[in-house]
Amino acid sequence: MELHILEHRLKVLSIEKEGIQLCTHGLIKLAFLASKTRCKFFSLTETPEDYTIIVDEEGFKEFPQSEHISVADASWLALNVVSGGGNASSSQPIGVTKIAKSVIAPLADHNISVFMLSTYQTDFILVRERDLPLVMHTLSSEFTLLRVVNGETVAVHNVGVTNGFVKPKLVPRPIIHPLSSPSNMFCVTSLDPDTLPSVATLLMDVMFYSGGSKEAGASVEESSHICFFSFSLIEGYVSLVMDEQTTRRFPNNVLFTSASGELWKMVRIGGQPLGFDECGIVAQISEPLATADIPAYYISTFKFDHALVPEENIHSVIEALRTEGSAP
Amino acid sequence: MSGSKPDILWSPHHPDRYVICDSELGLYRIGPSSGAEETTATLLAINSDTPYMKCVAWYPKHEPECLLAVGQANGRVVLTSLGQTHSSACKELVGKEFVPKHARQCNTLAWNPVDSNLLAAGLDKHRADFSVLIWDVSSRMALDSGASANEKLRLSLAEADSGSVVTKPLYELGQNDACLSLCWLLRDSKLLLAGMHRNLAIFDLRNTSQKTFVNTKAIQGVSVDPHFHDRVASYYEGQLAIWDLRKFEKPVLTLTEQPKPLTKVAWCPTRTGLLATLTRDTNIIRLYDMQHTPTPIGDETEPTIIERSVQPCDGQIGSFAWHPSSQNRMVVVSATNRVMTDFTVFERISLAWSSTSSLMWACGRHLYDCAEDSGGGEGSAERDIATKMRQRAGSGYGHDTVQLWRNHLLAGGDDPQLKSLVFLPMMVTHMKLCAEDLELKIQGNKQSLVYSGIKNIVKTSATESRRSWSGSEWQTDVPRFHSDERCLALRLCGWISRGSDIDVETFLRSLEQEGEWERAAAVALFNLDIRRAIQILNTGASTAKGELNLNVVAMALSGYSDEKVCLWREMCSSLRLQLNNSYLCIMFAFLTSEPGAYDGVLFESSVAVRDRVAFACMFLNDVQLPRYIDKLTNEMKGAGNLEGVLLTGLTNDGVDLMESYVDRTGDVQTASFCMLKGSPVDVLKDPRVQCWIENYRNLLDAWRFWHKRAEFDIHRGKLDPSSKPLAQVFVSCNFCGKSISYSGAAVPHQGRGFSQYGVGGSPTKSKVTSCPGCRKPLPRCALCLMNMGTPVSHCPGTGRSEEKVDLTRENKLAQFNNWFTWCHNCRHGGHAGHMLSWFRDHTECPVSACTCRCMQLDTTGNLLPADSS
Repeated sequence: MELHILEHRLKVLSIEKEGIQLCTHGLIKLAFLASKTRCKFFSLTETPEDYTIIVDEEGFKEFPQSEHISVADASWLALNVVSGGGNASSSQPIGVTKIAKSVIAPLADHNISVFMLSTYQTDFILVRERDLPLVMHTLSSEFTLLRVVNGETVAVHNVGVTNGFVKPKLVPRPIIHPLSSPSNMFCVTSLDPDTLPSVATLLMDVMFYSGGSKEAGASVEESSHICFFSFSLIEGYVSLVMDEQTTRRFPNNVLFTSASGELWKMVRIGGQPLGFDECGIVAQISEPLATADIPAYYISTFKFDHALVPEENIHSVIEALRTEGSAP
Repeated sequence: MSGSKPDILWSPHHPDRYVICDSELGLYRIGPSSGAEETTATLLAINSDTPYMKCVAWYPKHEPECLLAVGQANGRVVLTSLGQTHSSACKELVGKEFVPKHARQCNTLAWNPVDSNLLAAGLDKHRADFSVLIWDVSSRMALDSGASANEKLRLSLAEADSGSVVTKPLYELGQNDACLSLCWLLRDSKLLLAGMHRNLAIFDLRNTSQKTFVNTKAIQGVSVDPHFHDRVASYYEGQLAIWDLRKFEKPVLTLTEQPKPLTKVAWCPTRTGLLATLTRDTNIIRLYDMQHTPTPIGDETEPTIIERSVQPCDGQIGSFAWHPSSQNRMVVVSATNRVMTDFTVFERISLAWSSTSSLMWACGRHLYDCAEDSGGGEGSAERDIATKMRQRAGSGYGHDTVQLWRNHLLAGGDDPQLKSLVFLPMMVTHMKLCAEDLELKIQGNKQSLVYSGIKNIVKTSATESRRSWSGSEWQTDVPRFHSDERCLALRLCGWISRGSDIDVETFLRSLEQEGEWERAAAVALFNLDIRRAIQILNTGASTAKGELNLNVVAMALSGYSDEKVCLWREMCSSLRLQLNNSYLCIMFAFLTSEPGAYDGVLFESSVAVRDRVAFACMFLNDVQLPRYIDKLTNEMKGAGNLEGVLLTGLTNDGVDLMESYVDRTGDVQTASFCMLKGSPVDVLKDPRVQCWIENYRNLLDAWRFWHKRAEFDIHRGKLDPSSKPLAQVFVSCNFCGKSISYSGAAVPHQGRGFSQYGVGGSPTKSKVTSCPGCRKPLPRCALCLMNMGTPVSHCPGTGRSEEKVDLTRENKLAQFNNWFTWCHNCRHGGHAGHMLSWFRDHTECPVSACTCRCMQLDTTGNLLPADSS
């Protein structure tokens, strides 16, 4: 297996709902006018609390300074697992489940905090730039490490730091944060970037005016219906995560949903904002799923984490996670 | 392809059909229109059944014809057809859909050219799914057997029922990756080359778990050269890379980057090594001619590339496609409104001009040889100057330094200009002698006067004398002018000979001998001897056959009278213009003009310059003469007429004249010789003169007239000592590092390093095999194993009997045989004579275990001189 360390240096920021109008210019430019910017990595996730933006340094220039915008202090690097070679087993689990044991658990064991972003195309594991030597040391045994430099992929030799790292204690990881499962169902989909202009107004409506009809976040919680939307444009690939209701607003054949009709339900992690320092959260969720061989997407936001699991598996997932949580 | 640029595909089997696809598919037939050269395209059918087209591929086999695979934005591949009467096989296939597990854009399609039921589709990335799917279009399996419930679910019921939907590909390759371009390799139909995300990969269907890959950005538009199955082109933005599959680690060639991204790259199917590329927003197509030049030296030779561009139409080009069989033909479709252009790329013409003036050019598959027509009567006049120069060089033109006048004959003898040059060396000789004889009163540099022309001589005043007609009863005197300088000028013009004798009779006799009757008569007349003139004409008329005209002229001449107004004078001045010989013409002009007003004579351009100048020296006064000479000089300079050298001499003025002569004719040969023969050193230093000389030497080298060139150099060295080349090779001792040249030890003698060395029989013979500096022995000849310095003739082992004969017969050759020679590559060497005879039969170095192919490294060593001496 190959682990690609991508060259994007990423910033994670949160925009308050009230402050979104300050940023719409930049957001629209990054999302729909890719040719006008040199940004290669852009992701927007709307949750009831805020908008979480993951963007590279080029794109970060589009955002103003404002008290409505909080930026996570570190620079992040995106890791991407590529299963080189074509081992023909076709029914592989997708999403974080696949990499749970190989990447996420070892990182959690070494107390490295990760930030996950699953897209239609792949999973990105974001780690702090300063943690990179440790990450490489941790994963070098399992992976061929490749670093992307100026678009060319080059092999990285092991940095050779073996001393000074505490041998991790292999302890069971109980789930410590409260979980909730909203009732609505989600689609993970994509579309042809060429057709993006034709649905741009619709997407803008979904991105910026979703809260219009609904009241405050509290009522959303009560109706156990969550307002969640994610858009990413990474290296030319579009990925969308949206409410099943929302997909119906799109014209036929634009979204790549015709063939893969799977629907996903969400498990939301955290009662209090999780912060960036705590590690092991992704591992707590993904390991039980991997054990049960349930595919999952995982999207971290500024405050909370979100896992998407197939709708038919939601009960078994909740079951599994609850037992994990109450086990110790 | 909603809103995207159109693309063209030629039918693989119908040479007159192609499909244009943008938002729909349109089938066209191309054929000759009513116009002569034009072609027209007729729309045969339109298919708009498949929305969201991303890519199209034409079924490669004859039957079913016109079957197209269309890749859609959601990853489905649909088989469709255009405007054909469907055969049963076709009907079965048309409408079939191949659906990937997860929807994403289908980027590329490729039919296997051999197993034509295999269709490879390249898809975008989707998490853990595969991006290269190979479908079996003949598979009849529907959903019954292998399809899971999940798969059934995601297909609408109608599709599932129809049984035309295939969801299980035959092969799945490239997991967790994106595939942007595909092509089947021609060297093995089981190999598939795919441009993946950031790498090129070769998949082998016989072992799908293995792939050969190379990391690169150039992954778009992979295509195999149809004529050279290991050569592949791919691109990334504006950069085009050429790969050799046998050496797949890195591109063998990266072409210059274009400012705009490339959109299509296609090898020409009818011409080897021709690649056409198209970038975005342009109206030109760039073509690259790639040739494999087998160079014997080195492994890292790159194919040579010639880039050119063609502009088939005015508007921006959307796409193009080579015609599958018609040579170099393509159809181009415009970016906006489907304007099509049928276009044949004109073949590059390569031209080679040999130094021996034969011309050869190649265009397409034709080779033309164009030799100069050497036959024909007036051929020599029309011949190129290079041919003439080559002939002249071959016959030794300019080399005869003793009998200078012979050069004119060597040159071929019928160029009036060169003929006039015969007088040039004579003139110089004359000048040298005259300067001594006359002890000219003019103060100044004697040397400079030697080379100067009449222009500089006739500046001093002359005494006027009136001289009457000899042998006639007329009273009128004609004013004539005399001075020593004028006399010298007349000598230079050839009218009077050297010495105190100033009679022209000698000159007249020589003219009579050559049969130049008119000229002789004119000269006699100008010397005021009308009887002699008439006599000459009579002799001429009786000698030359049918020259009755001369008698008539003599008659007319005898009627001369000195009366100012008379019928004779009137008639002569008007009728003389009808005489076709200019000398006869000027005779009457002289007789009919007033003293001092001889324009009719002086400006008769077909009369030889020296005759006119001589005439001017006799009859023009001190004011008129320099003015006339200046005027004539400038005229000659402007026309580049070599006769003018008489006036200018070989001074800087003469260089100007020679320059316009070279500009006109390109005859650097004559220019080099003239300047070398007759010019003072400071004139030789003129960069123009040096340029002519160098060019002439280069020409001789190019003609392989090496001996001629060497002779020229020797000759040049004698006349211009500063031109002697410096020694180019020095031999130093391996031990002490000093030059081994004996004379070099004492006096730095340059240029003769070799030839002085090792001459057999010299008194220092015993010491010759050791370094004169440190007395250590010199290296040994690799063949005779004797120390260098030993004469070849003394070698018992290798010296052939015939060689010995050669040596005794020709001493010079023996000297060369003794020379040092060695290979610059392997450093082995020995006596030049031994080496030459060795390499006559061998290619490898004579030193055992040395595999150096010394002689092949010497590119000129295998050429023979064209002028065997």
